[in-house]
Amino acid sequence: MTNAIETPKEKQNRHKAMEAIKLLNTLREDFKSPLRSMEYFYKLFEDVHCHQKALHEDKTKIGTMCIQIPSEIIYALDGVPIRLCNGFYTDDEIGGDLLPQKACPLVKATVGHFASGNFSDMPDIVFSPTTCDQKTKAGAVIESFGYKIFDVDFPRTKESEASREYWRRSVKQFAVELSKFQGKKLTRSNLENSIKKIGYAQSLYHKLSDFRKLDVVPILGIDVFLVTNAFFFDKIDNWIEAMQNLLKELEQRVQNKINVAGKISPRIVYTGSPPIFPNFKIPQLIEESDAIIVADETCSSNRMFNDMVAVDEWNLYDMMDSISDKYLKACTCPIFTKNEDRIRRVIQLVKAYKADGVVYQAFAGCTVYEMEQRSVLEAMEKEGIPILYLESDYSPSQGGQLSTRIEAFMESLKTRRRNKK
Amino acid sequence: MLKKIHTILNNMNLQKVRFTVQLLSFVLFVYGGYFAIDFGSKLPIFACPYNKEAVGACYLIPLQHQLSMPAQVLLGGAGIGVIVGFLGFLFWFIFLNKAWCGYVCPFGTFQDWLTMLRKKMRVRFSIYTQNQFEDLSKIKYLFLIIVLFIPLLMGIGVLGSEWSASFCQMCPARVVSPMFSGDFSQWIIDFSSITAMILTALGMIFAGLFLLGSFVKKRFFCFFCPMSALHFIFSNLSMVQLKKDGSKCTKCGDCYAVCDMQIKDIADDVTSINILRDDCIMCLKCIAACPEEDALHFDIFKFRAFSSTKEGFEKRMNIEKPKQAEVKFSQKGHSDD
Repeated sequence: MTNAIETPKEKQNRHKAMEAIKLLNTLREDFKSPLRSMEYFYKLFEDVHCHQKALHEDKTKIGTMCIQIPSEIIYALDGVPIRLCNGFYTDDEIGGDLLPQKACPLVKATVGHFASGNFSDMPDIVFSPTTCDQKTKAGAVIESFGYKIFDVDFPRTKESEASREYWRRSVKQFAVELSKFQGKKLTRSNLENSIKKIGYAQSLYHKLSDFRKLDVVPILGIDVFLVTNAFFFDKIDNWIEAMQNLLKELEQRVQNKINVAGKISPRIVYTGSPPIFPNFKIPQLIEESDAIIVADETCSSNRMFNDMVAVDEWNLYDMMDSISDKYLKACTCPIFTKNEDRIRRVIQLVKAYKADGVVYQAFAGCTVYEMEQRSVLEAMEKEGIPILYLESDYSPSQGGQLSTRIEAFMESLKTRRRNKK
Repeated sequence: MLKKIHTILNNMNLQKVRFTVQLLSFVLFVYGGYFAIDFGSKLPIFACPYNKEAVGACYLIPLQHQLSMPAQVLLGGAGIGVIVGFLGFLFWFIFLNKAWCGYVCPFGTFQDWLTMLRKKMRVRFSIYTQNQFEDLSKIKYLFLIIVLFIPLLMGIGVLGSEWSASFCQMCPARVVSPMFSGDFSQWIIDFSSITAMILTALGMIFAGLFLLGSFVKKRFFCFFCPMSALHFIFSNLSMVQLKKDGSKCTKCGDCYAVCDMQIKDIADDVTSINILRDDCIMCLKCIAACPEEDALHFDIFKFRAFSSTKEGFEKRMNIEKPKQAEVKFSQKGHSDD
């Protein structure tokens, strides 16, 4: 207790720890029938964000700024992918001094995190795909802080053959750069193994999703967001093991018919700006309003796991091409010119998971999600799917107004459901 | 019970099933002659009778002969023969649609074996660019026009008898197929007339290109095959179809990545229900490589004989738990859809 004055770094850590533990405690205590096997994930986030525990001291850490950087290639080259999309209000405030006030909170928080230089697992190199304007420009800002950044060219249309070829070349270039950085050659067997390892993690995610299709849902959507968020930075083998334990417990729950929601709780598909730990504000409000998130269409969860790589001959370049296509063609990010794929995907999720409605969240400042809102709302109306559009940011002060709107929406869904019966 | 059958079918190892079917049909159609089997001459595959042991003949042979009859004969009673012949072709065709190409055609199977050899030698396959694909894809219709119109021109006396079976003269199957029963006599240029010389020389060139091409490019010849074009014209009449439910497709491109024929629509077209394209050989590899439930399926009438499933995908792609994380857990009992 000699240091009476707190350094900025200590202050940042303290504030972030408070943000993290507040959410973790809510998850641990505020919902009925918590899952025992979720404790691994609660503990993981507590270790990393409250105690600044490093997970990958002996490994090269490869920072990524979006999901488009193929982790298959990073693992094949003996690196650990760390996705640096950030959800902390503390970091958002730091970034707010460096970027326009109206910028997206996710980008501000990410830049703020880099500006502070305060990482439990500091990335050795960062790959930044040129997705949305703000992320694209953020790369250069981060570089100015002295980090090693490499831009990976990402096309903004995905229908044309030219963009497919362009992206395939970008991914190859990325692999070349990383291979140089790591001093390691990308080989056929390394890449095949890592495709299969990620494929296995994906298959576990799909099994988890199957549980959410049931009428009696054994797991909260907010817990699932935590599980998928852990994949951003966790040791993949540990994650796989924890996931297997979780699935075992869920299977047990199905037999005992344990429901984490109520009998008429509305089933929700969540879409829009990604919930990233600890900014689980909207999912939390949804599930505190007696609703249950059964599926999502976001880049911090479903979009990360859904599409598995298939290859015909398992040659190096065929694997590379198949990986590349998956990260471009299957991507439903709103940065693309038009986005019928995303609408189709949301409708399909509503059908497959028997959802009652959709909640569409856009971060204030996330222009692309804000712009796409109208077309998605129109499409849902045409399909007869109720949808609620919300704008939010990372500030903790917004709760009241949002919860009123969410509760009203959920009530209307319940009435709809009762009337159907 | 029905559900169980579906699961077994959807989880099958397509590669093995297909290899077995192809091997058996190859033996049957190439060496069946030793057992005095005869399927007639209306087969919708390149079962080439220039090979003496073939058990039937490619329909393009009688078609060319019939069409080359003098016009007045053709427009008289002989026209009925053409129609009967065509019905014979259609009879075979409706059972398998283009799966004749992917599962039965000995000439197609032979290309797959060359592919296997290349794979063993770790040589990478070649692909066309999208522009090359679009241009080359038209050639098969050009060949079909040759099959149909040169005989008709003979019939009205514009072309002489040296143009007889002109496509066969050019066809690499005529040169290559007899080799399966040890007959290399088709590797020859016919100098009896200038036309014959040109046609048989083309045949030799095409056969050479065939051997080289199908070593580096999967199903090299099928892309140019006039039979494939003929199939496509009547494919809607068949009882088996390749279908897609676009609402379930995420465009991940896995089907396109494994497609021997590089058909882009299979991944990118999310509106067509009937997804069979003219280049398709109905090998069904796309279904085997699709990770979305029921997004692609092979139907026999209304029965879904083979559908894409996650479970089947994981089995076929060998997605198993990595060795470091060895924890037992049962996979059954939670799927209700």
